[in-house]
Formats: sequence, structure tokens, C-alpha cells
Amino acid sequence: MTTTTTRRSFLKLGSALAASAFVPLRAEVKAPFSQPLARLDYTKAKATPTICFACTNHCGVIGWVQDGLVRKIEGNPLDPNTEGNLCSKAQGMISYTYYPERILYPLKRVGKRGEGKWKRISWDEAYDELVGRLKPLRENGVPEEFVFHYGRDKTKGVTKHFTNAFGTPHRLNRRSICSSNRRAPLMSFYGREFEWETQDLENTKYVVNFGGNPYEAYQGGLFMTHRLQRARVDKGAKLVTFEVRPSNTASKSDEFFTVMPGTDGAVAGAMLHTILKEGLENKEFWDRWANYSLEKLREDVAEYTPEWAEAKSGVPAADIKRIAIEFAKAAPACCTMSNRGSAKHYNGMQGDRLIRTLDVLVGNVGQEGGYCLSSLRGWSNRYGQEGLPKLSFPEPKASDPKPWGIGEGFNETAFKKLPKEVQDRVQGFPDAWKKKYYGELATPSEYPLSWHWYSMRVGQLVYPYIKEKRQKVSVYMSFTLGAAFGYPESNVVREVLLDEELIPFHVAIDIGYGEQTSLADMILPEAASLERFDHHSTNNYGLIPYTGLRQPLIKPQGESKTMPEMFRELAHRIGGGMEKHFTYTDDESLYKDWYKNLPISWEEFKRRGIWQDATREKDYRLYERPLTDEQLTGATIPKEENALVKDAEGSTIGIIKDGKPVRGWPTSHRMIGVYDDIFPTAAKAVGLPLEDGNASPVGLYHDVPEHVNLSEDHYIFSTFKWNVHTQGRSGHWKYSAEIIHTNPVFMHPDTGARLGVEEGDSVELSVFRPMGHTYRAGEEGVMGSFKNHVRFLKGMHPKVVMCSHHVGHWEHGVVGNGKSEKTAPSEGLTETLADKDMMKGVWWSKKNGGIGGGVHINDALPINPAPLIGGQNWYDNVCSIQKI
Amino acid sequence: MPEEMTLPWERIGSEFRKDYKRAGMLVDLDRCIGCHSCSVSCKTENDVPLGNFRMRVRYLEEPEDKKIMFAPLICMHCADAPCLKACPSKAIKREGDGRVFIDEGRCDLEKECIDACPYGAISINTEKEVAEKCDFCTHRTDVGLDPSCVENCPTDALVFGDLDDPESKISRLAKKNDAKAWKPEAKTDPSVLYVSHDRWMEKAVNTGVQLDEKDADITYEQNNLGKKH
Repeated sequence: MTTTTTRRSFLKLGSALAASAFVPLRAEVKAPFSQPLARLDYTKAKATPTICFACTNHCGVIGWVQDGLVRKIEGNPLDPNTEGNLCSKAQGMISYTYYPERILYPLKRVGKRGEGKWKRISWDEAYDELVGRLKPLRENGVPEEFVFHYGRDKTKGVTKHFTNAFGTPHRLNRRSICSSNRRAPLMSFYGREFEWETQDLENTKYVVNFGGNPYEAYQGGLFMTHRLQRARVDKGAKLVTFEVRPSNTASKSDEFFTVMPGTDGAVAGAMLHTILKEGLENKEFWDRWANYSLEKLREDVAEYTPEWAEAKSGVPAADIKRIAIEFAKAAPACCTMSNRGSAKHYNGMQGDRLIRTLDVLVGNVGQEGGYCLSSLRGWSNRYGQEGLPKLSFPEPKASDPKPWGIGEGFNETAFKKLPKEVQDRVQGFPDAWKKKYYGELATPSEYPLSWHWYSMRVGQLVYPYIKEKRQKVSVYMSFTLGAAFGYPESNVVREVLLDEELIPFHVAIDIGYGEQTSLADMILPEAASLERFDHHSTNNYGLIPYTGLRQPLIKPQGESKTMPEMFRELAHRIGGGMEKHFTYTDDESLYKDWYKNLPISWEEFKRRGIWQDATREKDYRLYERPLTDEQLTGATIPKEENALVKDAEGSTIGIIKDGKPVRGWPTSHRMIGVYDDIFPTAAKAVGLPLEDGNASPVGLYHDVPEHVNLSEDHYIFSTFKWNVHTQGRSGHWKYSAEIIHTNPVFMHPDTGARLGVEEGDSVELSVFRPMGHTYRAGEEGVMGSFKNHVRFLKGMHPKVVMCSHHVGHWEHGVVGNGKSEKTAPSEGLTETLADKDMMKGVWWSKKNGGIGGGVHINDALPINPAPLIGGQNWYDNVCSIQKI
Repeated sequence: MPEEMTLPWERIGSEFRKDYKRAGMLVDLDRCIGCHSCSVSCKTENDVPLGNFRMRVRYLEEPEDKKIMFAPLICMHCADAPCLKACPSKAIKREGDGRVFIDEGRCDLEKECIDACPYGAISINTEKEVAEKCDFCTHRTDVGLDPSCVENCPTDALVFGDLDDPESKISRLAKKNDAKAWKPEAKTDPSVLYVSHDRWMEKAVNTGVQLDEKDADITYEQNNLGKKH
């Protein structure tokens, strides 16, 4: 059935080739995407399984390579989490791999910092300069002046291996930007191993969703969506969503209520109230596993009547009551769902604890169709990973640097350089925290919960803290980080990055030329995801752990290199013992060694891309499983009910239930931590008044301070994600940008009428600083503003206006900034990758008569870390709106 | 997983091709979540230029409700295809299984097909200088694969199969869910059928697959709000 190539079409192809001659190609290089491609022939193309890198899900995919080009990404049917599914973003990997403005050579700046003038240098020159700057830091005993800061580090430990071997605690991340507010309640309830839940959506009958949007974004969304859609459409499960806008999840929900931002906790509280009032709680489960009495809970939620919640949230009391009853009656095949919508608020951490309490109260935790928990990340024989082959970064590992403090085993020199106020605060901390303290960038002392469980950090404060000179920086290395575009108050990020006194040297590692890399002194080109190896494992919504391999389909473009290769080379050149930790000869040998305990050969693993023991029992009721004879060897087994079982070393491994040792949860008390005094403890340690809701040992609803008495002409400005984009990373993926290249101010038509604006009108949106106990709270006046056009949607909450945050780039090339001409530097880019789609600029560029590439909004969003935990309260912003 | 298992992506070749009497597609809007995986996968698969579309997912606000509906639109492979009749160069042809395709070698860019199509399914690919539209991924179905959009749909909203075989999955689902043609008044007997679409959606999409200044779509934003930006 194939169409034969006629003379005519051959001639046409010839004319297309001739047209491409107008593009400034280097004569000797091929530009395969500058002309129409030959049709895919699946009998000849080569299929290689790998792992997608387009978002945080990391789906198993198959990449098809024809004539040396990656032409198509499809789902890997062996991936038990995706079951062979994927989303549009997967094709974005091809877009960024062959993006014409991808960086292919090491670059050194030649003009002023930020001026955009660069020269191409060799890798030897790049290494020499870096080693020349890094080596003295180590030799002079100040390795902490090397600050490594990443946006997406999917090297599974290579970078930590490097920073540890170097001796710096500064391996900074952006978890606070993303999800620390919603991880804290989970770790408090269920232990460090379960910072993310894994609802059994395939078998559920009822889901109450507090602002989660798995049908568009959400870590795990792709894994959740097909299961939940099957449960809904084929088996009649019900999905109820509380949202502030008509997200795809809200639009596909059986019931969708617009809710006042920051009041999800009030709705959850009223559901708890109703379930207890109606006697629909699972008393047996609660008494057996919750570390808090049901009577105390009853007292706590007594005032949370549905009518009270209606006044807070706008959701009708009768609906709250009905939903609570339906939810409880569906138990155990019911579950809650929540993510940023509920959590990215001043009261989000405690609100999420109320939501988490709902599942415990109806006893659906770990049950079929319920709120399950399944093993996360690398397999190292931790809780829930028993019997799995041990996978670990090859030895010899480098140990963590010494914590900063006073006394033996502490880094006193670094500690004593800290501001006096900080030293005093840290000296007053409990001993367990002192052993985890590594200075203000890694472990900000005002936000101890950001590093109590593990180092989530408070990324948005890194730049203000550097500006305040809380930490001296000599070499700043950013890695796949878009802070200069995407962090709140990104103007402060750029101000600090441009200050050569604060940041004497900035080396950026990335695949593209973005806002962050443009402010560097040196850029190192990283190999893209289709060009490298990586180890992958995550929680499986099919509830049986699995692991997958990212592997190269093609060689790295230009002179780009992988992180393991770059860091091995750097470690050897710096020497001084670092080289002993980087003994692998090449990337493949490193990952092969990592996977040496898999029961299938390395070659077979590469062929399949995924490994799972599908005969393993699903992760239901892990907490009821008896401790094995092996685990009990040398252990002390007490007799009394609820006593803890400890192993030979004294570590808690289980709890006595019905007179027998079972595992319980991986919390210190092996129960579910509905009550946790870590919150008041942290509050006392940092001086947060105990009246602040964040200090409560049990979940509770407390108002977002700046939302109380919100005036008639003030609105709440919030942001959201589109399904075709990934944070600020995808603005230049051509097919994603074609669909979403703008970010209008969405509002309810009634809001528009009140403001006197129509669709298409422009407005100026001015944002105020938050109230409460947070960074620069209560400062008067407008902190930032932007102009954008308006669109109406009836599903918007009338007090809320929203823009998406992916677009409005001024770097990232023709597609990224929605313009017609290249903006990236002429050196070091890839004329070799010219793309016919971009030669004349994109159709939505203003020059081509289009609407342009959207508006950057992050300068107008205040840094607003939640007390204690430090998660950015992205969705609390109070604003005013003027028609222009 | 036994060692040396045959992998799904290795079962490809003409021997796996399925012969259909009437190739068709079912689009279930209850299942569709508007993820754009089908349309973006189509672009990659068929090297469709920016600005041209073989498939496009439309975002349509419900007139009487606050939700958004999602509608993937493609060439309907009509049994009574106006484009086929309109083409002066006879470049639009029908395969044995009923699908309608453009013979690129014969296309003379007369564009009559574009005006004739009630679904906006055809556009001019200026890079190749030919008219362009969906052909149900002939190069894939020839070797036993589903069309790219079907393969890449994460919620089974798209089903490809034989509409003339009452036992086929597509026929059973079409019957069970009362699948209907989009815009039946066009009277073209489409081979693409929709589950759970309403008449208001047919009006709201305007022409359909291609960008149009009259589109009231929430995505693919254009300079069409009649206002300065």
C-alpha cells in the first residue's frame, strides 16, 4: 500500500533541498531536519527501549532510530507503571535533542557577564579552568565554597558522589519549589520511605481529589490517569475534584467544585467531622494503627461543620456532607488525592495532614482500591524492598562531609563563619538536628523541617542568602537549572548571578542556551537523555516494584558529554583522593556494575529496558506483614501489645500486634503519625509562635493570613501547568510550544465584568507580598507586576486569576521565545541541526502575524516559603488588576 | 519475563498486517483527557510541519457548564469523500480497506480538496509542496502496527479496526456506546465515529482540524480575540 515516489515528487524534494541552501549551513555538515524526512520504515528502523526524560514521571519508552536519527518515541509495553502508555511530552525529547539552538561545545564568555558573547573552547581548556578554580578550595580547606545547584538531576547519585568526594555539602535542589509542603505530611504519617503515595486507582471506587491534576501534570500522573480512567469509564468509579480552574482532571471529574484557594483543608476537616458524626469511621483500623485517640480527633474536628467549611471554601455544606458519606461508604476501595492545589499554601502542610487523616479514618490505607504506599527509588533493601535485588552505586562511595557545628566530628571552621544569630539558633537545636546541619544554603536553620527527614532544602532562598552573604561562594555550578527564569523573584536570581563579587565564577551545565546559562562564565554542554545511561526506579501504581534503564540511542551530539564522564574527568584532574571514587572506565561499565545483582544479564536488560518480578505479591498491607525469621535473628521480641521490636543493633524493625511481631510502618513508633510533635518542636526551635497553625502536632485548618478579609478589588493570583509542558523546560519543544505558546490571564466572565474587561483586553496585574511568618512578609506596596491579555473560562473561581508559567522565555531560541530570529549566541550552536520548521520563525511569532511567545511572570511572584518546611506557597499571591 | 522473550516491538512486518474490509476509528470523548499525545505523536510520525495538522485536539468550553470538553479531530475517511471527487488531478485515492489517501506524486496543489472537506482535514505542506492529510498511517498498518495516534493514546480513547466486522473491538464498542458521525449533515458517511459528542461541539470547532481565525479554542492561541494584545 506504500505510495511510490514519482518523478514529480522527487523533483519537489529537490526543490525543498534547494530552498534549504538559503540557510547558513556549514558546507561540510548535514542538516537532516532542514528538509522533509523520508517516511519511517518500521521494518528497517532500530528500536531501543529507554526511559523518557520529558517530565518527572520517567516512563518506559521505545525510541525508533532511522538513518541515524531518533524519529519516534513510543511507550514500552513492558513498563508495568505506564503499561505501554505515554504522553505528548515524550516526543519533546526529539525536539530538544535536535534543537537548532542546542549547545554542542564548551563555551567561555568573552564579553561582560550576561552580554551574550562567547567563544568556543576545548574540553581541555574547560577542565583546566575549572580545576584551577576548584582544586585550591579543597586544598585550602574550604570545599564548601563550591556550590552545586541542580534543577533536574537524573544521574541517580553521580553528582552526590562528586560533591561528597569533593567535600562540599552544597548539592542544592529545588524541592521546595515543587513539593516539600506535600511530602512533609506523608513522611510524618508514614515514614521517610513513603514521601509519595501510590493509590490503587485501578481498583478504586471513589476518589476525592483536593486540587490534584494527574490528567495534566502531577508526578505519577501518567501512571495514574489510565488506571483511573479505566476505573471510571469501565467500572463506574467516581472522581470528585475541588479545584480553582477547569483543569483537565476537573473537567473529566464526575463532580467538580470550584473552591476558594487554600481552603481544601477546611473541606477535608468537615469531611472528617461528618464521617465521625455519622459513625462511618473504621474504629478498628484507627485504634490499631493511628498514634492518636479517636476521641481527641473527634474533639479536634468538632468545630469543622460542613456549614463552617462552606463559609470558608464556598463548597455547599450539603455536598461536603454527601461526599464524606459516599467516600466513607466506599471504603476501603476509596482514596484521597492531593498535590500542589492543596499544599502550595501557607496552610498547605497542615491542610494536607487533614486530608491524609481521612484515609486513616476510613481505614483504606494499604487496602485494595485504597490509599496505598509502595516502594520508592533505588533498591537497597529498605522497607518494602525486601527480596528485591540490591542495586547501588558502585563502591567505593564517598562519605558525607562533616556536619557544621561545635565539637568533635563537626566542621567548626565553616560553622564559625556563619552569622552569630544563626550559630545561636543551631546551638539550641536537638542533637539529632545538629548532626544534620550543613550551613544556611543546604540546611536553612529557619526551616528545619526542610531537612529533618532528608535534605529537601529551600531553593528559593539560596539567592537571597548569597546576597545577604550568609555563605561565601567561589565556584557556583548550576546543572539543568532554570532559576533565572522559573524561581519566584527570578529578578533577584539574575541580580545575584550578575554580581561577580557574590558569584566570582559560574559554570552552567545544560543542553540548551537558556536564561540561566546565559548568565554563566562557562557553559558545559551535557549529553541529552537520548544519548546517555541512567538508572531508574519509582513507585509503581501497579504496586509491584520494577526498575528500568535509560540508555543511549545515539551518540552525544557535537562535543556534549554525560555527567558521569565529566565528573570522572574532573575528579581525576583534581586528584587529592577524589579519583579513588571514580574508578569506572566508561558510563556503560558504571551502570552495568550498578545492576550487577539483577537476575537477568546486562544485555537482556538493555534489550527489554525494564525488569520486574511480576510474581511478587502486590504491596497491600505491608504494615501487617510478619517480620521474617531472618529479620528476627538476634532481635528482642517483647510480649506486650504495641511494643517495639528492635534488631540486634537496636534499630526498630517492627511492632507487636496480636502478640506477634509485624512490620508496622517505617516511622519511629511503627504507627501512623497522625500526631507528630516535630511540628511544635520545630516551631519552638525557630521562634515560630505556637498559635501559628504550622506549629500544630495534628492536622488543622488555619486561614492563609493574607486571604482573611480579602478586599473587593483584590484577587488571588495563581499559576498552573499545561499537559504539553514541563515547568520552564519545554518552552522550546516545537510541538509543545505550537499548542501552548501563550499564558493569558484566565478569569471568570463575572470577574471580567467586575473589572470592566472583555476577552482580549490587556490588564496589568500587581502582586503584593504575603503576610504571616515568612520571608519579607507584610512589606507594603506592590512587589511585582506584569501585563498580559485576558481570557474567560466559566470554571474559574471568581476570586482567582491564573496564568500558566511555562512560556515567556527571552532565551531558548526561536521556538522558546516565540520570535522569528535566533537570539542565542552564534558560537557553539548547531547549524548542523537546522530545522525546516524554524527557518522562517514559528507561525505564532509576532513577525509572522501571530500572538507571540507569552509573558514572563516569575519576577512578579514573591518568595514565600511556608513556615518550618520552606515549600514555596505559589498559590497564595494577593493581587490587584488594572485594565490598560 | 522469561529470558529471550520475543519483545512486542519485534513483532513487526508485512506478515502481521491485518486486512480490513472497512478501516475505521472510534474516538471516545468520555475517555479522552485532552493530552494531545495523539496529535503530537502524529506530527513526529509523519513529519508534519508546524502550522499544518493531520490531527488536532480541540479544547471546547461547555456552553451550559464550567467544564472543558476535548475532541481529537482527524480526516474522517468518508465512504462518500468530497475531497476525492473534488480533486482535478485525481491525486486523492481510496485504498482497498476504504481509507482515503493523497498520492503525493500526483498532487498539483489545486486546493479544491481543501474547500471540499467539511472537516478541515486537508492542508498544504509548503515544504513538500503537496496537500497533506491523515492516511491512518499506512506505513504502520502495513506492518501490523496501529496508527500512531491510536498507539500513543494513554487512555484507550482511540480504537482502530474493521467497522465491517461485527465481532471486531471497534464494532462492538461503536454499538455499545452508540457511536455517531461528527457533523452528520455533511452526509459523507465517515469511517471515524465519535462516542459522547454533542451537536454544540460540532458548531464550536468551526472547520475542524486546521487552524482557523474563527476558532474559539482555548489552546493554539492565535491573534483572533479581535483585540490588541
